[in-house]
Amino acid sequence: MELAALEKQLRTLQTESIAKIGAAETSAALDDLGSSLLGKRGALTDLLRGIGALSAEDRPKIGAIANEVRAAIDAALSNRRGAAGAAELTALITAESADPTAPGPLPQVGSLHPIPETIAAIARIMASFGFTVAEGQEVEDDVTNFQLLNIPEDHPSRDLWDTLYLREPGRLLRTHTSPGQIRTMRAVQPPIRVILPGRCFRYEAVDASHGFEFHQVEGLLVDRGTTLADLKGILDELARGLFGPSTRTRFRPGYYPFTEPSVAVDVSWGGAKDGWMTILGAGMVHPIVLENGGIDPETHQGFAFGLGVERIAMLRHEIPDLRAFLENDLRMLRGLR
Amino acid sequence: MRVPLSWLREFVDVQLTPEQLADALTLRGLEVRGLERWGGNWGKMVVGELLEVSPHPRADRLQLTKVRIGKDQVLEVVCGARNIAAGQRVPVALVGALMPDGRLIERAEKMGVASEGMLCSGAELDATDDGDGILILDAKAPLGVPISDYLGEDVIDVDVKPNRGDLLSLLGLAREVGAITGSPVKYAARKLTEGSSEVGEGLKLTVADPALAPRVVLRVVDGVTVAAAPDAIQMRLKAAGLRSISNVVDATNYIMLELGKPTHAFDRAAVGTGIQIRQAKAKEQLETLDHVQRTLDASDLVVADERAALALAGVMGGASSEVSAATKSVVIESAVFAPTTIRRSAQRHSLRSEASHRFERGQELDLASLAADQVAALITTWAGGTARRGQLDSDPKAVGQTRELAFRPERVRQLIGVSIPDAEQSKLLAGIAISVTEAKGATSVPVTSKRAVSAAKGESLLAVVPPWRRDLELEADIAEEVARLYGYDRITPTLPGRDLPGYLPQPTALRDQVRTSLAAQGLSEAVTHALVSPALSDRHAEPVGLVTGPLAEREGAAASETLLLSNPLSADHDQLRRSLLPSLLDRAEANLRYGALSGALFEIGRGYGGTKGGPTEWTRLGIVVWGEIAAAAPGGAPRLWDLDELKRLVASVASLCNATPRYLPLEAGDATLLHPGRSARATGEGIAGLIGELHPAAAEWRPAPRILMTELALHGLSSGQPAVRRVLLPPGTPPIQRDVALAAPAGVLIGDLVALARESVKLAVSVELFDLFAGGGMAPGERSVGLRFTFQPDAAAALDGAITAEVDAFTTTAAKRYGTKVRGAETQ
Repeated sequence: MELAALEKQLRTLQTESIAKIGAAETSAALDDLGSSLLGKRGALTDLLRGIGALSAEDRPKIGAIANEVRAAIDAALSNRRGAAGAAELTALITAESADPTAPGPLPQVGSLHPIPETIAAIARIMASFGFTVAEGQEVEDDVTNFQLLNIPEDHPSRDLWDTLYLREPGRLLRTHTSPGQIRTMRAVQPPIRVILPGRCFRYEAVDASHGFEFHQVEGLLVDRGTTLADLKGILDELARGLFGPSTRTRFRPGYYPFTEPSVAVDVSWGGAKDGWMTILGAGMVHPIVLENGGIDPETHQGFAFGLGVERIAMLRHEIPDLRAFLENDLRMLRGLR
Repeated sequence: MRVPLSWLREFVDVQLTPEQLADALTLRGLEVRGLERWGGNWGKMVVGELLEVSPHPRADRLQLTKVRIGKDQVLEVVCGARNIAAGQRVPVALVGALMPDGRLIERAEKMGVASEGMLCSGAELDATDDGDGILILDAKAPLGVPISDYLGEDVIDVDVKPNRGDLLSLLGLAREVGAITGSPVKYAARKLTEGSSEVGEGLKLTVADPALAPRVVLRVVDGVTVAAAPDAIQMRLKAAGLRSISNVVDATNYIMLELGKPTHAFDRAAVGTGIQIRQAKAKEQLETLDHVQRTLDASDLVVADERAALALAGVMGGASSEVSAATKSVVIESAVFAPTTIRRSAQRHSLRSEASHRFERGQELDLASLAADQVAALITTWAGGTARRGQLDSDPKAVGQTRELAFRPERVRQLIGVSIPDAEQSKLLAGIAISVTEAKGATSVPVTSKRAVSAAKGESLLAVVPPWRRDLELEADIAEEVARLYGYDRITPTLPGRDLPGYLPQPTALRDQVRTSLAAQGLSEAVTHALVSPALSDRHAEPVGLVTGPLAEREGAAASETLLLSNPLSADHDQLRRSLLPSLLDRAEANLRYGALSGALFEIGRGYGGTKGGPTEWTRLGIVVWGEIAAAAPGGAPRLWDLDELKRLVASVASLCNATPRYLPLEAGDATLLHPGRSARATGEGIAGLIGELHPAAAEWRPAPRILMTELALHGLSSGQPAVRRVLLPPGTPPIQRDVALAAPAGVLIGDLVALARESVKLAVSVELFDLFAGGGMAPGERSVGLRFTFQPDAAAALDGAITAEVDAFTTTAAKRYGTKVRGAETQ
C-alpha cells in the first residue's frame, strides 16, 4: 500500500471517529468507542497492520501520522467524557435526590435512674476527698444494726427506727446504712475514709415523702485529731457539690445515739423554695461506737454522716413525690436522662 | 411537744418573737418542727358585749339579742343558748365567718327574725368541750377585738429527742430557754391546804419491788365535784394537744405538762384499803380506760388493791376505778417506775400513752412528791374538796442527786476543733445549771461506758450535773453540751488535710460501666422493690445451682429459702425477692398500661434468700424489653426486640465483664415465666443466667409486642473493675475468612456445633454463625448452618495448610458426632 492511501485512511478514521465521539451521549458509549477505535483490536490498530507493506523510509512517517490521529481521537474522547460525565453526575444526583428537610428518626436513648445516679454523684464528690465506696449487707442483725451503734435494747431511742424484722429471731432489714460503720472499722485500719451507699428499710407507711424502702449514703472518716470543724468543712463541700457553688449550709445540734456531738445539716440554695432544708444527719463518731469497732477512742476520732438519697434526688430534680422512684414510669425516667 | 407560749412565759421571761424563739431553740438542738397560731382559724369572730337579751316572739327556745361589737356597731343576733344575760362579753361570729367545722355564717331568718351572726359556744370554736352554752368571756375582754387575738395562742412544736425526757415538760423547756435568753427560771409551787383527816386512814401503800418502782407517793382528796375544768384550762390543754376530760383528770394532765411527771387519779370508792405496786400475775385480767380487756403477765407492773389490778402502771388506768361524775373522793398516785418495764409493757400491749412516753425516758425522784401536791392543789381549786393531811410515800429518802462528771477541756477543744478556753466552757455549762469546779486531784474521766482514763490534777474539770440530766454520762456528752451552747454556727469549717488512706478500688467501677453501656444502647435503668408479694415472688426465682464456681463466690448464688418478714406492712411486701424479673416484668406491664408500646428496662440489684448458714444476698442484672428497639425511619420498618437482639445486648455486656456466653437448652423446672421453646440458659466463663421470651401462658403475654427478659450473674458486677486488655497490634496482611455451610440433621443444636467449631479451630480469631435456614431443598427438619471462621495470619500463605487442616478436622468431627454434611465452603 502506498503511503498516501494509508495516510488518507488514517485521516478519514480521525474525522469519522471525532464525529462519532461528538455524537456519543454516555460515558459507556465513549468507553465502547474508545476500545473500538484505539483498543488492541480497534480500527486504528487494524489500519496500521498495513504498515508492514510500506518501505522502511515511509514507516516512521506513517507512525508519526498515526500518533497524531491517536492523540486527536484521545483528546476528543477525553473532552467528550468530561462533558458526558458531568451530565451523568447531574442526572445521578437529580435521580437520587430526596427531601433532606424531614426530621430524622429519634435515637433510642436510654436513661440512668436518679437513685443510683445520685449515689454516683455523691461518690464522685467524696472521691475527691479520698473517700472510697464500700457496700454492706442489707439483711442485718440486731447487734450490728442497733446495739453496737450504742442503741441498746429497750432504749427509747429505738423509736427513731421503726424496724422490719425477719422471721428468724435477731434478723432484720437494716434501718440505716450505719451498721456499715462497724463493719468497716472492724475490717480496715485508720485512716478510714469511706462512703457506704445502699438500700434501707423501715416499717413506715408510704406517702409523698416516706417509703418503706429507700436509700442512704453513709460517710465515715476516722483519723487522729479529726474535729467537728472538719466535719463542717467536708459537708460544706458535699452540699456545694450537690446543689451548686452558692449553696449555704446551716449546722445545728441533732441527736443520734452513735454520734456525740450530733449534727443536723440544712441547706439553702435560693431559687423558688428558699429556706432551710434538712439534708443529712452527722456527728463525731461516739466513743462507744469507736470502741465497738475496735478503735481506741483516746487515739482516734472521726465523723460520720448519713443522708437520704431519695430526698437529695427529689431536691435536685424537683421531683415532688418519692413514690415516683419505684414507679419506674419510662416517661419520667427518659425525661431525666 | 406542743408548747403554748403564754404557758411557757409563766416559767421564764421570753422577750423573743415566736419566730426568733423557734430559731434559737432549733440552733441549740431543740428542733422546732412547727410554729402555729392556735385559734388562728377563727376568722371574722370578735368579742361582743350583750346589750339586751329578750324572748323570741315565736320560738320558746330562741332568744333575741342585741350585741355591740364596736363603738357604734350593734348587731341583732338570734341565739338558742340559755346561759346568756345582758352585760356579758361573748364571742360573735360575723356574717361570712367560717366555723372550724366548716359551717359558713350567713345572714339568716330565724322564725321570722333576722340574725346578723352567731354567738359561739366553746365547742363551736373547737376551744372547749362545752356545746350547751355560749362561751362567756372575761368582763374585761376588749370589745371588737378578733377572738383569734384575744383567745388565740402561739404554739411551738418542739421535737424532743429520746435522750432528753427532761424536755417533755414546760419547766424543762423553760430551762433551755433561760440558757438562751439569760433569764432566770422560776417555778412557784402552789400552796396546798390540807384538811384534818390523815391520808393513811383506811389506806396503806406497799411496793413489792422498789427496783421496779423506786418511789411511789399517794394523796387523797375528799369531797370533790367532778365537772368540766375551767374554760381557760380546757383551752390551754387543747392548745397543747391534749383533750379535756374533767377537772380532776385535767389536773393530772396539766401537771404532767408542767413538770413532765405523769400521775393518775383513781376513784377512791373503787379502791380497797391497800394500794400495792406489784408485778401482774400470769393471765391476770384488767380492763383499761380504752375499754380493752388486757391479759397481763409478770412482765407488766400494776397498781392494784388487795383484790385486783387497778391500772397498768405508767401506761394506762383501769376502767373500774375511772374518775366519773359520781366520784366524790380521789386517790392520786404519783410514782417513778423502771423505764424498761414501762416500755416493754407499752410495746407488748401496743398502748403508747403520754404517760408511758415520759416514764420510758426516766423520771426525777423528787417530782413524785411535788407532783402529788401540785395535782392535789389543782383539784381542790377546780373541783373543790379537801386534801387529806400528808402523803403516803414509799421512800421519802429517794431524792435526785447531782453527779460529778470529770472531763478534760482540752479533749473538748480537740473534738470540736475550736479553742474554747476552760473558763468559757464552764460558763456555757453554767447556763444549763451544770456547775463546773476544779478537780482537787487526779480524776477518772469516763470515755465510754466500759472505759475511764485517769486525768492528772489540772488536766480535768468536774461538771456537777443536775438530776434531770440523766443523759449526761460521758466526757463526750459534756463536749456536745459545750459545742451546742457555743453554737455550731461559730465553728469555722476546716478540711481534714492529714493522712489520706491508701488506694482502694471503687467497687462500682465496672457496674457503672455496664449501666452506662446499657443506657447508651437505649435501655432505661429501673429501681424496683426488694420486698414483694408471695404472688410476685412465686413467679420466678433463679434456679439454685445455676450460678456456680468462682462466679458464685464473687457474685453470690441463689439460696433456696425465701426470707419472710415477721411484721410486714402489707401482704404485698411481706418477703424478700429472690429474682429481679417479676418486679421488672410488673414495671413493664405498668408502662404498657401507661401506653409505652415499646420499652427496655434494666436493674442491677440484689436477690435475697436463706440457707442453713444464714441469709445471703446476690447481685444480678435483670433486663426486660418489649416492642421496637428503636423507632423506624419514616416509611421504614422498625427493628423489634427478639431473642437475637437480646443476645446481641447480652454479648455487649458480657464483653465488658470479660465473659463469653454460650446458650444451652433450659432444664426442667428452670422457669415458669419463660417460653420453653424460645428461652435458654446463658452460661460460660464469667456469666450465668436465663434468657428468653415471656411464656405465652403468662398474664402479661400478648401477640405483640412480645416481652423478652434475662437475668444474669456477671463477673465483677457486684464489685469488679473494668478489664484492662492486652492488645496485639494487627499485621499489615488482611484477615482471611473461610465460610463453611453444613447441613445439620433435625435435633442438632446450633450452640453445640458452634462450640465444637470454636474448640476445634483454634487458629481462628473468631467463629460466628452467619447463616441459618431450613427448606430450600433440605430434608424436613434439616437446617443449613453457615459458619464463618476468621483468621489473622502474619503472612497470607503461611497459615493456609494449617487452616485447612483445622477446618477439615472440625467438619469430620461434626459429621461423626452430629451427622452433618458439608454443603459448601468458600474462602475470602
